[in-house]
Amino acid sequence: MSRSKVRLLHGPKIPKQDLKNYELIEHTADFGIRVKGKDPEELFKNAALAMFDCIAAKTNPAQRTIQARINQEAEDLEELFINWLNELLSLSAIKEVIFTEFNINKISDTVIQAEADGEPAEAFKINTEIKAATYHQLKIDKSAEGLQAEVIFDV
Amino acid sequence: MSNPQFPLEKIDDYRWRIPRSYKPGMRVPGIVYADEKLLKDIFQDKALEQVANVAFLPGILRASLAMPDIHWGYGFSIGGVAATDIESGGVISPGGVGFDINCGVRMLKTNLEFADIKDKVKEITYALFNDVPSGIGSKGDIRVSAKEEQEIMLKGSGWAVGKGLGVAADLECTEENGAIQGADPDAVSERAYERGKAQSGTLGSGNHFLEVQVIDQLYDRDLCDTFGLTLGQVTVMIHSGSRGLGYQVCEDYSRSMVHCLQKYNINVPDRQLACAPVNSAEGKAYLGAMKCAANYAWANRQCLMHLTREAFGKIFSKSWQSLGMELVYDVAHNIAKIEKYNIDGIERSLCVHRKGATRAFGPGHPALPEKYRKTGQPVIIPGDMGRNSYLLVGTQRAVDETFGSTCHGAGRVKSRTAATRSINAETLLKELSSKGIMVKASGRGTIVEEAPQAYKDVNEVVDVVHNAGLSKRVCRMRPVCVIKG
Repeated sequence: MSRSKVRLLHGPKIPKQDLKNYELIEHTADFGIRVKGKDPEELFKNAALAMFDCIAAKTNPAQRTIQARINQEAEDLEELFINWLNELLSLSAIKEVIFTEFNINKISDTVIQAEADGEPAEAFKINTEIKAATYHQLKIDKSAEGLQAEVIFDV
Repeated sequence: MSNPQFPLEKIDDYRWRIPRSYKPGMRVPGIVYADEKLLKDIFQDKALEQVANVAFLPGILRASLAMPDIHWGYGFSIGGVAATDIESGGVISPGGVGFDINCGVRMLKTNLEFADIKDKVKEITYALFNDVPSGIGSKGDIRVSAKEEQEIMLKGSGWAVGKGLGVAADLECTEENGAIQGADPDAVSERAYERGKAQSGTLGSGNHFLEVQVIDQLYDRDLCDTFGLTLGQVTVMIHSGSRGLGYQVCEDYSRSMVHCLQKYNINVPDRQLACAPVNSAEGKAYLGAMKCAANYAWANRQCLMHLTREAFGKIFSKSWQSLGMELVYDVAHNIAKIEKYNIDGIERSLCVHRKGATRAFGPGHPALPEKYRKTGQPVIIPGDMGRNSYLLVGTQRAVDETFGSTCHGAGRVKSRTAATRSINAETLLKELSSKGIMVKASGRGTIVEEAPQAYKDVNEVVDVVHNAGLSKRVCRMRPVCVIKG
């Protein structure tokens, strides 16, 4: 499995919808994202980048790096996707860190092993709090071009 | 009212039925409390579909209920009530409570009049903003150890009162006396402990708020007299929940209960409705953990009230007692409770899910403190920051019809993204200022996301619950100082 890295170049606020790697989905009380990836690895990575991009924008220069390991299991890809995002949110809250880089070492429909790198939350301007990623209207579609996922967050 | 996608049957001017025939698998009909005007908003999203989905829950009794502030949530709609019969396999669903367990609201009165604060609005707003921690992931001055956190989970508001952050009378005026019995700290994950540790005594973000308000309408003079409330009187409202601890408890159990669906052969149309029988090991564990988060939320609101009282004390150079800052009541509006109801002549224990709904027990209910036994339970309904909030009382009709439940707020009508796109923060702040409302928020984004235009008119929502007899208007408040997370 390759260990490609995707870095966030900018951290815009919620309303900007012109980002390349995700679109926002409107929902009465909450909001969601639509992300794509050529394979599950890229899809999961892009979803994590998009989620933290919604949460915060970098304002201060780089500080120390905080790393976390993520090992998740599930019964199918959808459940794994939700568990992945929620585990990141939970770690982000506890470690008070905004994750910006994700290395996925292993991924299948039922298992993900990854590392996430981030910086202390105080180096960021926090735009929104995401309580959790939900199963509500969750979709992961496969096509010739790859995968597309839609997920609604509880905010 | 006809809608091609949704066959609603009119029961009367304020009640509409979704027949069981709408979706195979519905065990009971859906009943929506709304008038024709509010229904138009309700049709705009898929909340009614969710009301129908909730009717699939095993053991659900009477109906899947929706309050007039209903809007699209995840799994359950926000503004939904569902009661399941525990003895006949009724289930409990973390999705029927929500991530912010015991999100709720409390109201305190003062002996100040508007004239006493009108030249101090800025000072009060800034003092509250500085002294009460708010914002995303905000950490309170009140830091606790893991052992103390466990005590908070068991004792709720009582923990705070024991620390000198309030008085015994506050507990009497809090739903469940500020601590629901049966909390099981062992059912709470390490992760949830960690997530909750630093956040006690914090307001949080999003729609959570602290407002200084002024009573601008009296609907029931006798009740106002009994409660010691009058026109022009200054009151305070605090809206907050269980913060990260509650989110983690909900996540932990939503995750594990997805697997209960197969184990207990439960058929629900949405994974976010994952549930387990209340009497199963999984159901009991969730209930025990949920109660911990609920108690944490009550302790949190108690701490926030203490900080508010202190801030007022400093500004007016008086003790909070001599400012008459007594708690009127504190209600939970995201919770599941085990309550007893008479069903067809037999008393049964039900698991009542209130997700974006408020308990509204009528006069004489044994769960009410002596103080409110005759009046009925105070029901606190916050509106948006530009309009009003309400104090109501519960009714026997609510107990009979909606498992003692009523609405919880105005209810969103516009998405956060739509609000952000269409509303300018500066213009909004000017508009609010011209109405005599000063707003201070930790995030600029929150101000537009929480703009009055993003909400239904709380006056219309309260009209429906009042006219439908689910609760009775006592008085109305308007905001003066608004602190948003």
